[in-house]
Amino acid sequence: MPNAWKIARKSNAQLPLVIVIALAVVLVLLGKAQSGLFDQARVKVTDWLAPGLELVRAPVQGFDRWMGSIGEIFTVYEENLRLKEENARLRQWRNVAIVMQNRVGRYQNLLHAVPDPKLNAVLARVIGRASRPFLQTLILDAGTAHNANPGEAVVDARGMIGRVYLAGKRTSWVILLTDPNSRIPVTVAASVGDGGAVQAIMSGDNSPLPMLDLVSHTATLHAGDQVVSSGDGGLLPYGLPIGTVVPGNDGGWRVSLLADAASTQDVEILNYSEPPEPLPAEAELPAEAAGIHPGTVPPPPSAQKKVPAAGKPAAAAPAPPHAEASPPASAAQRAMASAARADGTE
Amino acid sequence: MALERGASQGTALRIVAALVPLFCGLVFAFVANIPVSLASGQVPPPLLALVPVYFWCLVRPDLMSPAAAFAIGLMEDVLSGGPPGIWTLSFVLTYVLVARQRDSFASLSGLAAVVGFTSAAAFCCFIAWLTVGVLNWHLPPLSPIVGELVMTVLFYAPTAMLVGWLHHRLVGPLRSEI
Repeated sequence: MPNAWKIARKSNAQLPLVIVIALAVVLVLLGKAQSGLFDQARVKVTDWLAPGLELVRAPVQGFDRWMGSIGEIFTVYEENLRLKEENARLRQWRNVAIVMQNRVGRYQNLLHAVPDPKLNAVLARVIGRASRPFLQTLILDAGTAHNANPGEAVVDARGMIGRVYLAGKRTSWVILLTDPNSRIPVTVAASVGDGGAVQAIMSGDNSPLPMLDLVSHTATLHAGDQVVSSGDGGLLPYGLPIGTVVPGNDGGWRVSLLADAASTQDVEILNYSEPPEPLPAEAELPAEAAGIHPGTVPPPPSAQKKVPAAGKPAAAAPAPPHAEASPPASAAQRAMASAARADGTE
Repeated sequence: MALERGASQGTALRIVAALVPLFCGLVFAFVANIPVSLASGQVPPPLLALVPVYFWCLVRPDLMSPAAAFAIGLMEDVLSGGPPGIWTLSFVLTYVLVARQRDSFASLSGLAAVVGFTSAAAFCCFIAWLTVGVLNWHLPPLSPIVGELVMTVLFYAPTAMLVGWLHHRLVGPLRSEI
């Protein structure tokens, strides 16, 4: 039945149309410059929705499992055999890992290595997940009231899933590693030979395998190399397991993630802040330790020969010795300390 | 006295009915963006809120004004979590397209009506995709937005039936009085 709808008179409000288009463009630009306004509205809505999401989650999760189990019925025997074999192999690796962990601990004690920062974790439950064209996200039932803050890493039992990017009072939004806006500094540890670690940036592109952009173009990777967080920038802790390197169809390298954001239900939000490096005590500086006191350091030859330039005020001339006594002395200490460090490294 | 009371009630009802398209769009945006997925988040949610904008822009453009399309797009933006303003701009520009080609779209029926909506939804998704590309200085991958378009078209028929039912029950009877 053509033209079944009864069409009313045309809207001839042309002026509001132009104004509304202009407002929409302004909104896009404003959102780019000040996305905080939208973010606040989002977390408020999610906080408000949280109890409802908790209620809806259980049946949906049950349905999900039921759907997943249909396909598994036919492969359960092969899956069982494969898991038994994998379990035996993992037990061997566990023993190796324990031995290596003890050995590393002893070496750290012997070398007085700076201990790894302690991580506090907040256990949270996934109450929502969405895969949208411009955002891949999880919603967790922990927020600022539970000490979950933006920027913190989110991991499940297998590896890193993403980062908290919005935190409400009772809920938080996680940007997944596969999201196009995700960029994580990572370290790629060689799995073959004795190649060193390679620094790279892992960026999502909405595909299940995030891309690897190498910092050094001369480095070579191999399929199976381990990818962990590098800790650069101090936002994420070093060494969080992320995945393994796989070759991409486009000729580049990609990361097969260990964690499965589509099925995970319980995650940990790692509360991490890199502790500031403590300044060395005065007595620990190499110059002091060597018995060279700042007062005995002669001024550099260039300073002795320095003559005030013509036309310049007298204040530009070298200051009298009593004025030089304290602040420049520490500068000399720093110079000697850096020289001593340089010697040490050589 | 009774006549006056009846007239004021009629006015109130008309105002409420006039808000049905806007309210319907907002509710659809809310429902589509509930972050619970039966497919473990593997499938993007449909743009359900676009259906009322399209439908009432054709049938009753006096009730689906540009401002209403703006408000529905804004709701979609707030709830979807993507870059702010993207869906607002897309919805408003799609509204412009549908309003300009109103006679062509409204004359379609059956499968052709689905094709008509598909073209409007494709335009909306293309605007969103392009705007994100311009904002980020590189175009995002195409497959997720195509997935969103496919889901929106798949959900069009049942959503349009629901919107049509609401129109006939709530908005349609008042057509001659507005």
